[in-house]
Amino acid sequence: MILDIKDLHVKIGNKEILKGLNLTLEEGKVHAIMGPNGAGKSTLSKAIVGHYDVEVTQGDILYKGKSIIEMEPEERALEGIFLSFQHPVEIPGVNNAYFLRTALNAKRKHEGKEELNAAEFLRAMKEHLEALGMKSDMISRSLNEGFSGGEKKRNEILQMLILEPEVIILDEIDSGLDIDALRAVSEGINRMKDGKRSFLVITHYSRILDYIEPDYIHVLKDGRIVKTAGVELVEILEKDGYDGIEEDAGS
Amino acid sequence: MKPDTLDLNTLCHQSPEALAKFFGVKEDNPLLKKLTSLGLPTKKSEAYRYFDAESLLEKEYKTLAYVPKEAEEADKLEIVNGVVTTAPKDLRVYYGVYDEVNKEHYDPLYFLGHLLRPNVIIIEIDGDREIELLHRYTQRDTLIQYRIVIKNQANRHATIYESFDSEGTQGSLVLYGYDITVARDSTLRVIRNQTINDDAYHLIASHYIKAEKQASIILKTFDFGNRSALQLLKVDLGERAHIDAGHLLYLSGKARRGSISQIVHQGEHSSSFQEAKNILEGDARGIFDALIRVEHSAKHTKAQQNSKSILLNAGTYMVAKPQLEIYIDELEASHGATTGQLDEKQLFYLQSRGISRQEAEKMLVIAFANTLIEKVKDVRHQEKVLESFEKAFYAKKDRG
Repeated sequence: MILDIKDLHVKIGNKEILKGLNLTLEEGKVHAIMGPNGAGKSTLSKAIVGHYDVEVTQGDILYKGKSIIEMEPEERALEGIFLSFQHPVEIPGVNNAYFLRTALNAKRKHEGKEELNAAEFLRAMKEHLEALGMKSDMISRSLNEGFSGGEKKRNEILQMLILEPEVIILDEIDSGLDIDALRAVSEGINRMKDGKRSFLVITHYSRILDYIEPDYIHVLKDGRIVKTAGVELVEILEKDGYDGIEEDAGS
Repeated sequence: MKPDTLDLNTLCHQSPEALAKFFGVKEDNPLLKKLTSLGLPTKKSEAYRYFDAESLLEKEYKTLAYVPKEAEEADKLEIVNGVVTTAPKDLRVYYGVYDEVNKEHYDPLYFLGHLLRPNVIIIEIDGDREIELLHRYTQRDTLIQYRIVIKNQANRHATIYESFDSEGTQGSLVLYGYDITVARDSTLRVIRNQTINDDAYHLIASHYIKAEKQASIILKTFDFGNRSALQLLKVDLGERAHIDAGHLLYLSGKARRGSISQIVHQGEHSSSFQEAKNILEGDARGIFDALIRVEHSAKHTKAQQNSKSILLNAGTYMVAKPQLEIYIDELEASHGATTGQLDEKQLFYLQSRGISRQEAEKMLVIAFANTLIEKVKDVRHQEKVLESFEKAFYAKKDRG
């Protein structure tokens, strides 16, 4: 296993959102998390990456066997954990290319590799931009500023491609995407599948799962994983809804 | 014959007769009357309330003779200690008495400047062109004061890139300023890089700008450092005239810096856009005290005014006073001011990509500044301004 979440209790403000959540991510597998609104799906992703909103009150998150709950967000990122945000923030004045190169060079430095200069970086970017159908001027603009929903999600996937993380959390990656953007984003994600990387796909709808085939479906309800099964669970959920599922024993 | 030293505070408290004698004018001189009625700035003066002008004005300074000399030919227009030393060959620069001093200016130092130095530097800009203007100061404990009059041609587009340099100017006070008339249907851009190095002089710049019918003035001030500097601006806008005024402040240490302005819409369909971005740390105090006044004659005016400030630590203080004074109904106007810290969501986003908190903070500060710096169209000058900003910002020891 690459990520092991044990009995996780998380508060945001005074409200407990995750109430003893257990989840294990296997190496090289795609795990999808589905669940009703307010179940705690985004809180789970925030807890894994160390968002300032969340307070872990109990339990642990082990990444490659080591606890990460005391680590800063940037340390978790450098160790290989990546979150594709549901709503990426806009940062006027920060050039996208400069940001991407700073992030990539921080990672390379962490791994003891030489930093890339601007020309080397742009050469490395070219292929990814083309594959994602991104216009080259998108990396010369301010980070996410004025980007459409689809452009923002493509930019998230671009970051994922260049940073090559080992655990990839995709929080509602399909929201706000048209069919063409969904296909381009999914292809980008599928290119990252190498039998070693693990994916945690957080979604409301099954549409994205037509493009990114999951190995496991987990249902998150009221702050806990209540059901884990194979891809066949999607059909049951579509038919019966979240209230109609039979919870796993001991969940 | 002027004395070798001067204490402005004592001077200005003398009788009208003595003052008239000192300035070599009649007692009923309108500039002298304005100066005596306004009085020198004190802590109670509205315009100077947040800027410690008193301590600068009550000091005794050495004075300079300002002997005009033949300017050498050079690419730049250079003014050293208030005297033109070099000028481009085809630029008309000369000294002369200016008889169009604005009598409605709110700043007493505007009138003091004209009285102390009635022989102003006059720059006449022909055609479409760019001018680099460098002010250089080399005297310590000295009052350096001069005024510059700028005139351009109708239907033309000119740009002035202004910068400052100094060496050994500890304890000096620079009083200077522009009187600019922007001719009808013309555009004048003035890009001011007002960076003042450590241990240097203090600066008070008092400007008056008149934009004639359909004229456009773009005034961008980049103001970095840890010393005291104040820009006082009065602008009169004629029919369909426009001003785009931007001010970027980065203050550290015990700096007291900022801008005080009055933009007066006099003509119909005139427009103003004023924005200030302020970054403060240390014990710095920033000032954005800006009034836009729309006169009865200025129907269909558009006026917009905005100040955004980032306080990097608890010891800083930002005075942001955007004000609209409106006497008509037919207009579009807005104003606002925000003061806060760096955005946690933005910081987290950068951190989530492996960028350290400290590096992320630097990126956001530079980004905030960049939104104004990017408005300098010429890439070479844009880079110069960015370089000045980064030099001032990275000068803080723990940031290297």
